[in-house]
Amino acid sequence: MDMRDLVTGGAACAVPGSSSSSSNPLAALANTLIGSSSKIQENKEIPTSITPGSERQIYTQTNDHLGALDQPFVDPNAPQHSDFLRGFHGSGGGGQTELDAAWNDIHPPPPPPQLDHIYDTHPQQPILDGPPQRMLSSLLHSFVDSSRGGVPFRATPLPVLGLSEGDKQCIRDRSSIMARHIFADKSEDFINAQVNALLCSLDIDGDARAKGPLPGRFRELEDYWNESQGTLKPGFHAADGWVAEFNQQRMVHGANGWASEFEQQHGANGWASEFEQSQLTSVDQMRGSNISSLAAMEQTRMLANTLAQNDDPKFQNSKFLQFVSKMSRGELIIDDNQVKQTALPAAGDWASEYQHQYNRSPAWADEFLSHGPDQWVNEFTTEREQHGPVDDQWVSEFSKLHVHDWADEFGRQVGEGALGENSTDNWANAYDEFLNEQVAARQRSDTSRGVYVFSDMNPYVGHPNPLKEGQELFRKGLLSEAVLALEAEVLKNPDNAEGWRLLGIAHAENDDDQQAIAAMLRAQEADSTNLEVLLALGVSHTNELEQAAALKYLYGWLRHHPKYGSLASPELSDSLYYADVARLFNEAAQMSPDDADVHIVLGVLYNLTREYDKAIESFQTALKLKPHDYSLWNKLGATQANSVHSADAIFAYQQALDLKPNYVRAWANMGISYANQGMYEDSIRYYVRALAMNPKADNAWQYLRISLSCASRDDMLEACDSRNLDVLQKEFPL
Amino acid sequence: MPVFKTPFNGYSVKFSPFYESRLAVATAQNFGILGNGRVHILDLPPTPSSPFVELASFETADGVYDVAWSESHDSLLVAAVADGSLKIYDLSLPPTSNPIRSLHEHSREVQSVDYNPVRRDSFISSSWDDSIKLWTLDRPTSIRSFQEHAYCVYAAVWNPRHADVFASASGDCTLRVWDVREPGSTMVVAAHEFEILSCDWNKYDDCVIATASVDKSVRVWDIRTYRTPLAVLNGHGYAVRKVKFSPHNRSFLVSCSYDMTVCAWDYMVEDARIGQYGHHTEFAVGVDMSVLVEGLIASTGWDELVYVWQYGTDPRAP
Repeated sequence: MDMRDLVTGGAACAVPGSSSSSSNPLAALANTLIGSSSKIQENKEIPTSITPGSERQIYTQTNDHLGALDQPFVDPNAPQHSDFLRGFHGSGGGGQTELDAAWNDIHPPPPPPQLDHIYDTHPQQPILDGPPQRMLSSLLHSFVDSSRGGVPFRATPLPVLGLSEGDKQCIRDRSSIMARHIFADKSEDFINAQVNALLCSLDIDGDARAKGPLPGRFRELEDYWNESQGTLKPGFHAADGWVAEFNQQRMVHGANGWASEFEQQHGANGWASEFEQSQLTSVDQMRGSNISSLAAMEQTRMLANTLAQNDDPKFQNSKFLQFVSKMSRGELIIDDNQVKQTALPAAGDWASEYQHQYNRSPAWADEFLSHGPDQWVNEFTTEREQHGPVDDQWVSEFSKLHVHDWADEFGRQVGEGALGENSTDNWANAYDEFLNEQVAARQRSDTSRGVYVFSDMNPYVGHPNPLKEGQELFRKGLLSEAVLALEAEVLKNPDNAEGWRLLGIAHAENDDDQQAIAAMLRAQEADSTNLEVLLALGVSHTNELEQAAALKYLYGWLRHHPKYGSLASPELSDSLYYADVARLFNEAAQMSPDDADVHIVLGVLYNLTREYDKAIESFQTALKLKPHDYSLWNKLGATQANSVHSADAIFAYQQALDLKPNYVRAWANMGISYANQGMYEDSIRYYVRALAMNPKADNAWQYLRISLSCASRDDMLEACDSRNLDVLQKEFPL
Repeated sequence: MPVFKTPFNGYSVKFSPFYESRLAVATAQNFGILGNGRVHILDLPPTPSSPFVELASFETADGVYDVAWSESHDSLLVAAVADGSLKIYDLSLPPTSNPIRSLHEHSREVQSVDYNPVRRDSFISSSWDDSIKLWTLDRPTSIRSFQEHAYCVYAAVWNPRHADVFASASGDCTLRVWDVREPGSTMVVAAHEFEILSCDWNKYDDCVIATASVDKSVRVWDIRTYRTPLAVLNGHGYAVRKVKFSPHNRSFLVSCSYDMTVCAWDYMVEDARIGQYGHHTEFAVGVDMSVLVEGLIASTGWDELVYVWQYGTDPRAP
């Protein structure tokens, strides 16, 4: 055994005594070089000299325990004790024994007896217990209880909580790091969007996140640089001379020491890739901080769905998961926040329902998804107008003006090249486009809600019997063609309720809900007692979660029904309550249990109150009576998807598609169900199929975009944005 | 076995190396995202049917993520606090005199702390500031900072035999093995494709180490042949938060996970998962095995409960 082995071995199994009491590097060096052989002869029993006050009787009390402890742990002569780790030390260059000495020297001298009080200068930090803390705590926990009873959630502007900068930073950092553990299956985009939505809802400035989730990348490089410069870093305890030695050694290694070291650890391209990574990260962060909450919330909706997909009831009940997803959706409530409730009577309800719809009902309630965010904006903008100059950051954040300003600003930055390379440009352009689309969609919904928009070039105008042609085309499943023929019909006979109704259904099946509702409204104008029209409108408004309107139409259906009309008393229609209507339909169902329509309406009603299990049961009963009703299969599927049985939903949608292969809505819903299960590649294929059949299905385009981003197929985003179906179909055949 | 209800969400639990019935629990308010923290010192009751005895509790201004008992003094323990500080408590002193130290060097949350079981004079802390720091009780500042990880260091654990060797698990997806006498890490193992949240040394073979990752797996490595794991233990449904080798059995380990379960494994047999405990109703984030009582396991989670049970029995059994 040469000397250095002795040193290593000694240090590995024994603590040196306090004889070499040097904090002087030279002495330490000398000690290592000359005195080291004596070290290993020293005691193998551990002289723990850290007793803070020798009057304590720790030792005598605990010797037995220590003995027990030693048994499995500290037996250097045990056969399985490998030399491998010892070999660690001693494989390096000659200077390393100095570190050895430094480490060995840390132990002595024994602390003075008054040690307990020496460092006690830190005053006890104040314990957080102010109103903000309690408020936040109730915020974080109360939504859990209220979520079960279907109590509406109210988005809360967080200034109420008065979070300090430090608090915000904590929430920002910790939630991003935790999100990365919990949502590890998801793409980086996904997690960023999720965290960003959370920060948005807490009114926390996302920009500062630059310090947040991935802080180490650049700094590590800096450290290497600093070390190569021989700079003393603060924070080391210099008294041992260890730092000095360490730096000396670095100097010996030469200026390139750091480089080679880094290369060793990260490979020849480590530096470059590290840098690249950090660049990517900063792009991500930029995206995270800039993407408007509209997009973020859409992504979060899917995240929540994916999360909820875990069938384990424990997970469904996990307060933390609900906490994260609720927070990320901005569904924040404070129980005693009465002020907000009275100030925003409609908006509050709407917001909560909207959240809910966004969260859980993509399939069933996809009617106005694309317009949802804009309604949101409108709602708040109107609200602001009504209440005059409300000085509320949150409101103004979402006001239309602001969005525009911001978009311009962003565009300008891009123009100036502030964001660097072309990849960023691409992204920025895509995002601009996305924003424009949002704005356009909102304008469309502003102007044309409830107004039917006819196609420009309609070859069926002048057709002798467009209604018959339309019915025929509809039966064949040529929905887009059927729409044109039926448009020709209602242009010819604007009072033809059946023409409008079928047109509405064709649009609904083609996944174009704006037009569907507009057509249905016209149908109702023409014939206010048509049962199918009333049912369709009831369904549409349920999709929008407009309970009052939905109840009105569903009650109307009952009142005008020849069999059940007697159940409905006219005075009820003035003030409809959900419970009354549900009771009436249950009576109707008892009256004639074989009427599938009643069960269908019941299913729709249960969707209104989100009693999905009951709704599923009702639809399943109806399906026993009407097994070939493809739209009923679709309803069942959508309800199952809402109640987070996305796997079951796929079966139901498949049934619908078997019955009606050109059912665009079912194709799109199928995509949603796959996306909800995190199977983004599959979902893309279904969206593309749906879009190939009806490129006008705006919702499906948006879903497609999200799935592409979740599947990390950013390469196809351009094709999606330019609506290039050829490319998409080639890339994602079904 | 008894159950203890903590006011805050549990983060870590550790058996005392001196008293077979004693354990320390680290807790944090609001899932550790914002709020206070508290360390509880508990004694198991003499009969399983009676409740835990709380010997002491210490409150902190930020969440406590981990706690480590001193290996040299039965009354000392170190808490890893989310505000970046390490606080040292002495149970033999009245609460007003505690903490006896507050060591504040980490710039971010401290996620783990581990007391050197061989030298017993020092401990290491790992932090979200990407660094590991080496401390002794008698110094106001750290002795050394180990700064190579590129992301949060979630755990740093001393080797049970070599006084100078420790391992660290990081979100940069690497496990690193360090020798305090060396300037840099001695070994870098790309142990998982995802963040590594925990690691622990085998107590019988000083070259064997287990890692737990966000990829839902626990892997067992021999660092001499670190290219392939000795065993890959699948069975958790979500990220595995902690892993711990048995002090009494060379192939036995326990782990806890975001899937809310605690799993027991024998990594040397084919069906490695030999037990799964679903007693927690939120994420299970803390687990430990007693050194003094063979087979005694403790766990805590965000359901604010601390369980102690004997391997093979139901934690919830009265």
